[in-house]
Amino acid sequence: MSSSDSSDQPKRRFWHLLLVALIPIFSGGWLSGPQSTFDTKGPVAETQLDVFYVTLWVTVVIFAIVGSVLAYASIKFKARNAADEHAEPPPQGHGNPLIEIGLIVASILALVIISVPTLKAIWYTYEVPEELQDDAYEITAIGYQWWFKFEYPTEMVTQPFGGEAPLVTGNELVIPAGRPVKVNLRTVDVIHSFWVPKLAGKVDMMPNRGNHLWLQADEPGYFWGQCAEYCGESHARMRFRVIALAEDDFNAWLENQKSPARTVTAAADAQITTEFADYGTFVRNQPGWSHEFDADPFGNWTALQSPNVDEDPALIAAGRAAFTANRCAGCHTVRGHDGVGNIGPDLTRVGSRSTIAAGVLENNPKNLYRWITEPDRVKPGNFMYHTRIVSPIGMISMPGYTTRDKNTGERSPTDGDIEITPEEAHALVAYLHSLK
Amino acid sequence: MDQSLTKNEFIGHEEHAPAAKRSWLFTRPDHKTGLINWLTTVDHKRIGLLYGISALFFFLVGGAEALMIRLQLAVPNNDFMSAQTYNEMFTMHATTMIFLAVMPLSAAFFNYIMPLQIGARDVAFPRLNGFAYWLFLAGAIILNLGFFVKSGLPDMGWFGYAPLTSNAFSSEFAGDMSTDMWVMGIQVLGVSSIIGSLNFIVTIINMRAPGLTMMRLPVFTWMTLFTAFLIILSFPAITIALVEVMMDRNFGTSFFEVSGGGLPILWQHLFWVFGHPEVYILILPAMGIISEILPTFSRKPLFGYPIVVFSGAVIGLLGFGVWSHHMFTTGMGTVATAAFTLATMAIAVPTGVKIFNWIGTLWNGHLSMRTPMMFALGFVWMFMMGGFSGIMHAAAPADAQQQDSYFVVAHFHYVLIGGSIFALLAGIHYWFPLIFGRVVSEFWGKLSFWVIFAGFNITFFPLHFVGLNGMPRRTFTYDGNMGWNSINMIATIGAFILGIGIAVYFVVMVYTYFKGEKVKRDPWDARTLEWSIPNPPPHHNFDVTPKVHARDAFWYEKHHQKEIEAEKAKQAGDDEAHGGIHMPSNSWFPVITASGMLIGSLFFCNHNFIGAIGGIVIVFFGAWMWSVEGPGGYHLHITKEGSDDADAQH
Repeated sequence: MSSSDSSDQPKRRFWHLLLVALIPIFSGGWLSGPQSTFDTKGPVAETQLDVFYVTLWVTVVIFAIVGSVLAYASIKFKARNAADEHAEPPPQGHGNPLIEIGLIVASILALVIISVPTLKAIWYTYEVPEELQDDAYEITAIGYQWWFKFEYPTEMVTQPFGGEAPLVTGNELVIPAGRPVKVNLRTVDVIHSFWVPKLAGKVDMMPNRGNHLWLQADEPGYFWGQCAEYCGESHARMRFRVIALAEDDFNAWLENQKSPARTVTAAADAQITTEFADYGTFVRNQPGWSHEFDADPFGNWTALQSPNVDEDPALIAAGRAAFTANRCAGCHTVRGHDGVGNIGPDLTRVGSRSTIAAGVLENNPKNLYRWITEPDRVKPGNFMYHTRIVSPIGMISMPGYTTRDKNTGERSPTDGDIEITPEEAHALVAYLHSLK
Repeated sequence: MDQSLTKNEFIGHEEHAPAAKRSWLFTRPDHKTGLINWLTTVDHKRIGLLYGISALFFFLVGGAEALMIRLQLAVPNNDFMSAQTYNEMFTMHATTMIFLAVMPLSAAFFNYIMPLQIGARDVAFPRLNGFAYWLFLAGAIILNLGFFVKSGLPDMGWFGYAPLTSNAFSSEFAGDMSTDMWVMGIQVLGVSSIIGSLNFIVTIINMRAPGLTMMRLPVFTWMTLFTAFLIILSFPAITIALVEVMMDRNFGTSFFEVSGGGLPILWQHLFWVFGHPEVYILILPAMGIISEILPTFSRKPLFGYPIVVFSGAVIGLLGFGVWSHHMFTTGMGTVATAAFTLATMAIAVPTGVKIFNWIGTLWNGHLSMRTPMMFALGFVWMFMMGGFSGIMHAAAPADAQQQDSYFVVAHFHYVLIGGSIFALLAGIHYWFPLIFGRVVSEFWGKLSFWVIFAGFNITFFPLHFVGLNGMPRRTFTYDGNMGWNSINMIATIGAFILGIGIAVYFVVMVYTYFKGEKVKRDPWDARTLEWSIPNPPPHHNFDVTPKVHARDAFWYEKHHQKEIEAEKAKQAGDDEAHGGIHMPSNSWFPVITASGMLIGSLFFCNHNFIGAIGGIVIVFFGAWMWSVEGPGGYHLHITKEGSDDADAQH
């Protein structure tokens, strides 16, 4: 039975795919994805789209005119048969200066039509307009291979060993809605590019260069972004999200972020009660998204901001111990618990983020387990897995990370000495998800 | 022909050349056939064929890489290949197609056709011409060696943006030399291109037939000249940039090394100062080919010849002033962005002029819709589309959304496949009867055209949409929830249709070479001098130095036969009085010198500096011997129509 199924399915699947492929041509479905540049949600992207429409209409009109003349000439003057081909040659005319000069002038006029709105938009999109500058909110985005760090230079936070430093998050940028946001663009390694298509076009993060862009989300919402400049092995897996919140929500979010990590206290004699779920095996490149999440990303993100109801304090405590024992804190920080590492994303509130691994996987226990146990198959070449890391001060060797194959018991082919057992991974998942 | 003249033996050397006493080292390998002849040839036609065959081979390699890329992207989250392999594939696909397929295929036409169009018997520096080819092959080998060694292929993109090329980011493990091979490979190819171009410039300026004034040059020869100038002016920029990367990687300098205060943005400026003229290096020869084919098959002169030539020059010139439109997203500031936006839009004017004039050429003509004409018209349509999407991202604010997305991928494939490749495929069809004396079947030629045309558009037209829907380039995979699935599947299917079309095209070409229908001289009723000689062309090209009276020289000859015949008889006498037809001798030293570059570069990539010096020694030995062996040469005497007779050598 299975054999007849498998022979039928590809065929049906092919027709299904073909049908599905053809529908969008007529319905505009090809342009309505979460990173569509047509579905603009802010003034910068809107201006850029307007310029695009001007170029589009001007060129479409020219194409229609020139194309029909070309088509007409090709058909009208075609030799119909052999006799036609060998007829007396046509008059050997060499050209007509008046026609040519006329066409040059016409092309220049068409370009002027395009260039006026273009020049206006160049100035408008470059910097927050003067009348809005007082209201502008400032954020610094920093590119790493392959994730984004976000700093809030105006929100200072007390550090574990004294002093103050800006609030730091990773991979999910939370901004106030309805306000212009100036984003300073920095990088610690190679060139990256910051692109949230629905809010604004991209600007690169260049080493030794202080770039910036501005954007504004008119309404609260959840937006997809992605690195747009090739930055090495896992460039395709360097994504992020932008969440725009209404004024009050944003301030509440900030308050929560600025306080130290949330601690779940377990009684001294508490036992681990949770049964470990079997997450099965993961395929390389397995997708980490779901229709349930995409149906209401903003609502799902909001739900993640409050603690889970079925927390197991003992398991969380075990996870916290594993976090310390495995030297996670060498690269990551859980402010108030452990670590001052800043090579990897700050994990102080990792449980409240909707994605992990730089926007690649939805943040649920199964995905986090997968990310912890086989990072290289989620994001090839990433530095949690490899034993080397590149930082602004050159190459640093780090303890390195290894995993053991569930079935064969073989160690993964790295030189690392950090080995995380499935039990530890489960505990780490519970711990990290308690960090809201 | 006067018999007394042909019997008159001529000693081919100047009297002071002690031909008999020279060492065996200086024996010129003037074989007519066999491997040695191919290795030592200085005949521009043979070198043209070598370029052509190598380029078509690499065109197939690059095409296979493209199909691998499309297979990986056919469905979301595919694991057909790893991220690393994918990155190597897109790097090599671009590098191969630009440097090893389109440029050398253009060079093949420059070599084969241009001297014939100007009525010359060879290029100005025949040995240098051979050297350029062997250097090209050396560069191609260095670039592709990664297929066979542990280091693997380069993986930082054909644009090699710093700091991805620095030691910190491009060495997966100690001894990874893939980036070094890319640097040295491009460097050697650059030397080859510059040498070849200088040769073409000197040839066009000095070796035109009598009466062939500049404003009578065939447009293809004009475009050869412009392309050659673009190459010698733009390649120095990338040469410098590559030397700097090489120093950063091997000798600890900090041109682009961020930790040492280097500026990665500098690489981008240097790269695109080369890279944008490079775009015109790829398209101007194509425009030249089209400007030959359209008049021939319309049986009319090119409409507005002076303005087509002049707009070619303007495109070349403006091409040096627009490089930063590749960098609109690097934060250049408003004024620079505005300036490069306007300069880029200005290029649309001379480009539009060319399209208007091509349509003007068709107007009132007698269009014979043969296969070359089909490809040429396909070129005009596709190039127009590519031009219009080019205007869209000339507008910097729109480009902020399009840059590094699949919209750009769609755009430049319209220009490079719909433009360059269509024109080169048209050129192969057009000149095939001249080069091999056989003509491709109309049915199979047109079939391959329609399959290629359909496959190309099915692949690349939808990519505009997926780009505007936010899909970035150079990503080895994507998620299924982004609305990109169907387009990627369509593009992959289209790519395979395109692949089938190319396969049909090649099979038909190979078949035609062996079994195709033989044709007489000038099967297309063409207009330029290359068609005035028998096919395949004799070794010495022209029995009699042609004299040019008008722009379409051969068309004029055909319509003034009496006058031309009398003139030719007189010219034949003059040629003999000068000692017959002077032909260059073959030489070993171009290939030996080039092999020194190959050996030296490979040792250098492996950080074996002693070996690298060994390679340089071979280069110097070859160059030294080259200069002391002297120009050589011998004379031919035409005995009767179509046969010749070499005598008195060395």
